Amino acid sequence: MGSPTPRAGGVGQSAVLPVLSVILLLAGWEASAHAGWIREAFFPRPSSLLGQFQLLLRDGTLGEHMAATMGRLFWAFVLAAVPGVAVGLAMGVWRAARETLDPLFALVYPIPSVLFLPLAAFVLGRGEPARVLTSAVTSFFLVVANTMAGVRQLDRGILEAGIHYGATGHKLFFKVLLPGALPWIFTGLRLGLGFALIVVVAVEMVGAERGLGALLWLSWQTLKVRDMYVTLLGIGFLGLLATYGLEHVRNWLLPWQPKGGVRR
Amino acid sequence: MTGTAAQMGSRGLRADVRAALAVVVLGTGWELLSRKGVLNPAYFPPASQVAAVLAEGLSAGELLPHVGATLQRLVVAFLLAALPGLVLGVCMGLWGTVRRVADPYVALLYPIPKVALLPLMLILFGVGERAFVVTGAFTAFFQVVVNTMDGIRQVDPTLVEVGRNYGARGVGLFWKVVLPAALPGILTGLRLGLGLTLVTVVAVEFAVAKSGLGHVVWSAWQTLATPRMYAAFVVVGALGLFLTRGLRRLQDRLLAWQTSVDVW
Repeated sequence: MGSPTPRAGGVGQSAVLPVLSVILLLAGWEASAHAGWIREAFFPRPSSLLGQFQLLLRDGTLGEHMAATMGRLFWAFVLAAVPGVAVGLAMGVWRAARETLDPLFALVYPIPSVLFLPLAAFVLGRGEPARVLTSAVTSFFLVVANTMAGVRQLDRGILEAGIHYGATGHKLFFKVLLPGALPWIFTGLRLGLGFALIVVVAVEMVGAERGLGALLWLSWQTLKVRDMYVTLLGIGFLGLLATYGLEHVRNWLLPWQPKGGVRR
Repeated sequence: MTGTAAQMGSRGLRADVRAALAVVVLGTGWELLSRKGVLNPAYFPPASQVAAVLAEGLSAGELLPHVGATLQRLVVAFLLAALPGLVLGVCMGLWGTVRRVADPYVALLYPIPKVALLPLMLILFGVGERAFVVTGAFTAFFQVVVNTMDGIRQVDPTLVEVGRNYGARGVGLFWKVVLPAALPGILTGLRLGLGLTLVTVVAVEFAVAKSGLGHVVWSAWQTLATPRMYAAFVVVGALGLFLTRGLRRLQDRLLAWQTSVDVW
């Protein structure tokens, strides 16, 4: 009961098709480029992309730009997550905070965050802090919203049981409220991290000298299509890391929770 | 139980009143701070000035074409993506084979910020509407695929079993049992897809397009025509607000049997 029916052949069987699918696509791509069916100016063959990848990796270009992007992503995430969780918890617990901030946030949240770049630049000047702040805006709201929802969905019965057994103040907060809201907080953090990556790349494309977004933009302007594909792969890698990495942390920290699907 | 609907109605009204109040308070505070010179009026012009520019832009029709351009890109991108996304999502949800073949690509491309595909699209289609719209369409496509697939996969097997017992088979089973049960997930995907597409379209406009609200913000920033910049901000915010709150209310009304947790 309850346990999923085991698939025939287990993991081995279920991994065959995806791997086969990727191999076939790459082989088909390579062959069609070789035969001249697709224009290599647009779709350079995978083997040449691998060569370019090795080249960019070895001369340090990829590493340098990826480090810049990861640095921005990290700080944007911290800037969004720490105040986001705090404000979200406060809004979940205190009605006054919720009713004051909720309408304000609901107004600002839907504005696409790239547009905050000029505003941030007015306040902080054109530079790194403005880029990071811009990337943090929407993430902050995502973290706040999910944290608040996490507190509010808590079963009143559990809260009352906690109080009944003598948990008050910080004890009630750390032993009952926070663990109960954690799964939701993690959802907010994951969505926030994913969104921060979107904005970091967009901001880098618009105006930065370093970073994968900047490299992408440069490779377009100089029509280096191979560099573009390699950069895209790098961004994809960061996307995978951001999305699935945090999910692993969640499953490790919250072993009592069913392993949630990553996508939402 | 009869009281809950009325309660919810009044709570909804109060939220609207609070939102209006927030706008008034924020606007007045902004106006005062800007007039007193606490905020630099070159960067943060008084709210009344922004309102005047907004009213003039909308009535004299100078801003209207940009609103139209953004809306058109948004709608075309969404329409381009929604149907193929639904079809692929349904197929991946129903058949394990399709899922295993397509999953590597969806898993890799879903977390990539779709703005990053813009340079590639610019190379493939040249600088123009097609590249902008297709970049936006990718955003919606993956969101719709993923939510549709999850929606179908999360359908309670008991429901399907009961449907079978009552004689539903094949197409009938799909239309009458599986699809209605998966509808919340599917609508969520469409709604999120539309909202994220706005983010991508505005970012694309900010970066390269020569029209649209994103372009207005960018060009007004470059020329320091700040009242115009904030006027565009307000319009984008209103659009985003409709896409998040408005569509969420619509969804809740369509799926009256569902209770959704309110995350903006």
